[in-house]
Amino acid sequence: MMVRRGRLGLAVLAVVAAGAGCGADTTSRRGEAPPATGARLAVAGERLGGLPAVPVSALEIPAPAPLADQDTVATWAPVLRRVAARARPRGDARQVGTLATRTPEATGNIVAVIGRRTVGTAVWVRVRLASLPNGRVGWVPRRALGGYETVDTRLVVDRARRTATLLRAGRRVFSAPIGVGRAATPTPAGEFYVRNVLHRYASPTYGPVAFGTSARAPTLTDWPAGGFVGIHGTDQPELLPGAVSHGCIRLRNADILRLARLMPVGTPITVT
Amino acid sequence: MGGTDEHVAAAPGGMPRRRLLGLGFAAGGAALAAGWGLAGPAPSLAAPSPAQDAEILGFALGLEDLQETFYRQAAASSVLPAGDLRDFVETVREHETAHASYLRTLLGAGAPAPAAFTFTTELASPESIASTAILLEDLAVRAYNGQAGNLTTAALAEAAKVVSVDARHAAWIRSIVGQPPASEPTDPGVTAADVTATLTKAGLG
Amino acid sequence: MSGLPAGFDRDGAVAETLAVAEAAASRRAFLRGAVAGATGLGALTALPEARAASRNDVAILNYALSLEELQSAFYTEAERSKALSGETGVAARTIGAVERAHVKALRKVLGRAAIRRPFFDFQGVTEDPDKFLKTAVAFEDLAVAAYKGQATLVDDPAVLAAAISIHSVEARHAAWIRYLVGTTPTVAALDEPKSKDEVLQIVRATGFIAQRPKTRSRRRPGFTG
Repeated sequence: MMVRRGRLGLAVLAVVAAGAGCGADTTSRRGEAPPATGARLAVAGERLGGLPAVPVSALEIPAPAPLADQDTVATWAPVLRRVAARARPRGDARQVGTLATRTPEATGNIVAVIGRRTVGTAVWVRVRLASLPNGRVGWVPRRALGGYETVDTRLVVDRARRTATLLRAGRRVFSAPIGVGRAATPTPAGEFYVRNVLHRYASPTYGPVAFGTSARAPTLTDWPAGGFVGIHGTDQPELLPGAVSHGCIRLRNADILRLARLMPVGTPITVT
Repeated sequence: MGGTDEHVAAAPGGMPRRRLLGLGFAAGGAALAAGWGLAGPAPSLAAPSPAQDAEILGFALGLEDLQETFYRQAAASSVLPAGDLRDFVETVREHETAHASYLRTLLGAGAPAPAAFTFTTELASPESIASTAILLEDLAVRAYNGQAGNLTTAALAEAAKVVSVDARHAAWIRSIVGQPPASEPTDPGVTAADVTATLTKAGLG
Repeated sequence: MSGLPAGFDRDGAVAETLAVAEAAASRRAFLRGAVAGATGLGALTALPEARAASRNDVAILNYALSLEELQSAFYTEAERSKALSGETGVAARTIGAVERAHVKALRKVLGRAAIRRPFFDFQGVTEDPDKFLKTAVAFEDLAVAAYKGQATLVDDPAVLAAAISIHSVEARHAAWIRYLVGTTPTVAALDEPKSKDEVLQIVRATGFIAQRPKTRSRRRPGFTG
């Protein structure tokens, strides 16, 4: 429903007369001292129905629309407190992992939120753990996490086809050839999420931008900083597409830069 | 549009109903009919001014008086059941009385006297009471919104305190009768001509 | 073709959001070590383009935008939480759609002068029907008072028309939610305004505006490669 424009056709904000009065004066200038040009009060002389005409709104308000994205939206939240993740939403359930507040890359840790349950008065949240074995999930108390953010993107990594495709609201907005892990050091399959973005580091091996994910290289358990799978650029683009890495997903530098403009942190990643 | 005489509704005692319409303007948008409205030539009004405030608030007062009259008569009506609807009518009656009194105080000696009016079909049933309330409250909100930009700062501050309460009334009565209380994203202002046309069409002008 | 005076920056509203965000940040353990500037609110570029409007009106529109973002996020998150049912659910869906529309409209008219969307943490309030309703009442009453407090400060009639036409809608929302809670839809015969300072203080006190998580870094990647 568009706000009707009315007879005056004032569709945009009127220029306040030559910026007159746009100074330190904080009181309204609309009142008893009209501007010299009268530009903003084009109603001069038009008295319709005896009272002056009605000024038109500066805002065009679109028709309110329901949320249509429940199927494609994913939620994430920052970890505010170091906390045990449990197999069930109970304080005495078996611990299946730990949520740290920071990542090895010195960013705030975030988790993908995939479920919720209210137990009595306490809200528990189901989250993806960035640990081995891959695919592990656990329950944490709501108060261990910060505010929810949602994303409407999903990255689909097809190891057989060696492609990475970014969907937004279910529609393809990006696709590129990739390098994936070699047979001995495969990129793990499953559901993960983008945990952070690294940039402005000096390391051509990783290209201009690198995304950290929640995925761990299953065969590199001794890797420093945990052996996380990243999505990054490369200084060997001639190897792509191919099974060439220790688990990371490599893109040509131009492609990773494009992806960086389209893919926010928290984006879920499906690796098949 | 025709002249004012077409929708005169003389009421027993007090001012003829059309005084509301005549105050400050002519329903047809034409020049003021002789004897109606403010004496003398219309001030050259585009910018807000105290004189224009008086016209606008006088017009608003007419609407508040009409609402006050309506709720007073509804409260006295035998068709009003106890419960939500009665609570609404009685509370809102107090508010509209306060609104009218507030505007009268602002207008001072120049405030128009209330026009007498007798609601009839509007009070026939709880449903008609509710639908009339919705009409009047929505109309008041949009009338105020329409003229907000034409008021001086001081008058706007006062009018703003009233209009949001009328908006609350509108959502309240809709909630009571099970209508969506607030489905539109804005309340665009309407002109005074629209207001009179609406009232006329509803048989209240 | 900006109508803004030279050297204008929009950090009036941003500074407010920043101040609010920083106040919340100081209570957050995980932001230990984060510098005040790293709130993620984004670099302030000089001379953001905006439709011709006074600095004053841009600040007011941004203030309105910040409140609409707060409400929009609140209702949207509540709807997504699926914790609400019945008439409360209907209200959250309907009002949320309206607040989202308000946000869109304000962002469109502000263009690049619009503040960045703040980061919110509703701390489980959107996931509990009782807490949701009580907070919704407070938000809507606050929005009415906030718009009312700004109406007399607006320069341009078109901006005023916009603000005043939203102001009464927020009042309808307030009455609706109050009705659902079982409390009187009106507060008094006259509604009172609140100043911007007062409103922002109330918002700050909720703790709902949080520091944006720091998810970018210049560390050299240690991934497996």
